[in-house]
Amino acid sequence: MNDRTPSRPRLSRRNLMKTSGLSGLGLALGPGLAACGRGFGGGDDSSGGEGEINMVWWGDAARAEVTEAALDIFTEETGIAVKTEYQDSGPYQDKLATRFAAGDEPDLMAQRMDSLREFADRGALLDLNTAGDAVDLSGLSESARALAEVDGAVYGVPAGLNAIGFIVNRDITDEHGIAIPDGDTWSWDDLAEFSASVTEATGGEVYGTGFEASTLANIIVWIRQQGEDFFTEDGRFGASEASVQAWFDMIQAMRDAGGFPPAGFFEQVGGGAEQSYIAAGTLASQIIPTNNFLSYSQAAGGNLALLRMPGETTGVRRGQSVDCPHLWSIASASEHQDEALRLLDFLANDPRASQATGTTRGVPPNSQIAEDLMGDLAEEDRTATEYLIGLQGEDLPPSFPYPPGGSAIADALAAIATEVEFGSMSSSEAAAAFVAQSQDALEQ
Amino acid sequence: MPAARERRGGRGPAAGRRRHRDRAGYLFLLPWFLGMLLVVIPFFASLYLAFTDYNLLNDPKWIGFENFREMFADPLYLQSLKVTFTYTFVSVPLSLAAALLVAMVLNRGVKGLPVYRAVFYLPSLLGASVAVVLLWREIFGREGIVNAFLGWFGVQGPSWTTDPDYALSMLIVLHVWTFGSPMVIFLAGLRQIPTMYYEAAAVDGASRWRQFRSITLPLLSPIIFFNLIQSLIASFQTFTQGFVMNNGSGGPANSTLFYNLYLYQQGFNQFHMGYASAMAWTLLIVIAVFTGLTFLSGKYWVHYDN
Repeated sequence: MNDRTPSRPRLSRRNLMKTSGLSGLGLALGPGLAACGRGFGGGDDSSGGEGEINMVWWGDAARAEVTEAALDIFTEETGIAVKTEYQDSGPYQDKLATRFAAGDEPDLMAQRMDSLREFADRGALLDLNTAGDAVDLSGLSESARALAEVDGAVYGVPAGLNAIGFIVNRDITDEHGIAIPDGDTWSWDDLAEFSASVTEATGGEVYGTGFEASTLANIIVWIRQQGEDFFTEDGRFGASEASVQAWFDMIQAMRDAGGFPPAGFFEQVGGGAEQSYIAAGTLASQIIPTNNFLSYSQAAGGNLALLRMPGETTGVRRGQSVDCPHLWSIASASEHQDEALRLLDFLANDPRASQATGTTRGVPPNSQIAEDLMGDLAEEDRTATEYLIGLQGEDLPPSFPYPPGGSAIADALAAIATEVEFGSMSSSEAAAAFVAQSQDALEQ
Repeated sequence: MPAARERRGGRGPAAGRRRHRDRAGYLFLLPWFLGMLLVVIPFFASLYLAFTDYNLLNDPKWIGFENFREMFADPLYLQSLKVTFTYTFVSVPLSLAAALLVAMVLNRGVKGLPVYRAVFYLPSLLGASVAVVLLWREIFGREGIVNAFLGWFGVQGPSWTTDPDYALSMLIVLHVWTFGSPMVIFLAGLRQIPTMYYEAAAVDGASRWRQFRSITLPLLSPIIFFNLIQSLIASFQTFTQGFVMNNGSGGPANSTLFYNLYLYQQGFNQFHMGYASAMAWTLLIVIAVFTGLTFLSGKYWVHYDN
């Protein structure tokens, strides 16, 4: 290697260093650049031809296929072309916000329940009351219609109805001769007893149950069973410290007894049924959204029981509610509102639309259509649909939409629940911190 | 100026050719200039937004320095600073040390050097990519190969990804692993150090360690300086690793809540784009301060041999 002669000409390093340092500094502004907003060069030319509407949702390829099938019927009949875009649920929300900010909002969109008011309160969504009778809502059950209502305005139609439910793998309980408690009347104590017996019978191979303490849907049921509202009607945080602490304590007691997995067990696995712990055989029971019952059943060996949440008959009042994965909402600034309204009505009220999509987004909100659809469904979907129809017929306390700032509460609970899990915070400290942070988040 | 113009704008065929050539030059610059607009406009927009309450959906409202005031009373903001500082001040020195060590080994004339160079460089191309972070998540998973390895020695490894005490250290290890790009630069720098210095030192009986301290380090100091600044800036801006590792939550228990991750959460999940813009500008100032300090300190330890 004789190219290391000292006489070799070279760059002036001093200058090289300085320029590169400064150019690196310029890169530091990267994140700020994303903040391009309305009035700052966001394009407002709505792409697409005359009468073409843009519809966006989240989901997988299977859901896309059945959705496109429904839209084909619509396009054939009305001549209105629909340009669709779909993606994963996480990035969906960020992209939707950005599109609104850029003045490039879709005409019809899947609107997540937890950010409904973020959009609706700011005038971004069309109030269906102002659209005359373009969309017929008379076929919807009371609980279905209430989901899209904010202060008397109606910001969409549920794309489907679901609830959360408890699934139990019967293969495991049968093998070890363990009786599954009565799913309509069981209590949280029954769950604790059941889960401990599964772990014991399997020699620790399988944990009796497991769910994330930080999933809002789970804790909301618990809080409602204590006679409190997680989110109150006037958009405040309504859970007491005592009830939140009891939630952490209840889970910790199951963990101590061995029925619930140890700290750090829940890793970031994909959201699908195939990657779930019940499919992997490490949990005997878990909580799922009921519209996914079929896919969980297929992934976990086809022998699942669907139970209600524990404590429904033993709490102060009922905790479960009829929910929906998302609404179909129309942008208030949409240039194709009439066409979007027609499509919305088609999705909500035309039996052919529901026949095409099945229950991929839950039970059709129109009760008549839901019942008519029953015969076409796979057994698991029928079970889930009966579960939902049952719930809708019952006298459940009303549930109120997530107020703006709700996502900060989800983040706060995730962090605090982890602290409790690893014992770096006591359950009472954690409850106090969570209530304080939640109230704070909603005041902003 | 007029004089210059006179000279350039002279008549005659040569001048015409030059004008023609100038036009071609500007034409070539045009894409850069247009691209620049895409940077400059949002740049100033975000500066304006930093002083507003802006929720993405309604028009921004001017609120002066409120966002900046709020920042320092926001425990999550302070947590994100802590995470980012810890990450930077631990992983940057470690990765530079690893880079220098490997560069020195490779510089001793290994057979098949290009292959090794490529192999060591590869992680730095991949390190920030989603696929590798996902892979890392599996490797450090509860039942991943790291814990399987520890199991051979009877050690029960922790849940690296879900335990708040370990999650950040796992990302630091990932960062150190991506030492390839400073390594390549070190290697280039090492090869510019004249061998005669080492030969002279060897004749005088200097040990390897002495040679390293008295020849390699001083002559390499401009390169170390360069790598240090590049790594500091990149590390302050870490986003992908944190985002992918815990699906954007910054968990477990905010232990991987990087500055830019929190900025993203504020801007796009919680609709506080004004606050997020203020955070971006504050980060710019933080990076400028640390870069400035590094430059000032350079007087004492960076040696230019010419």
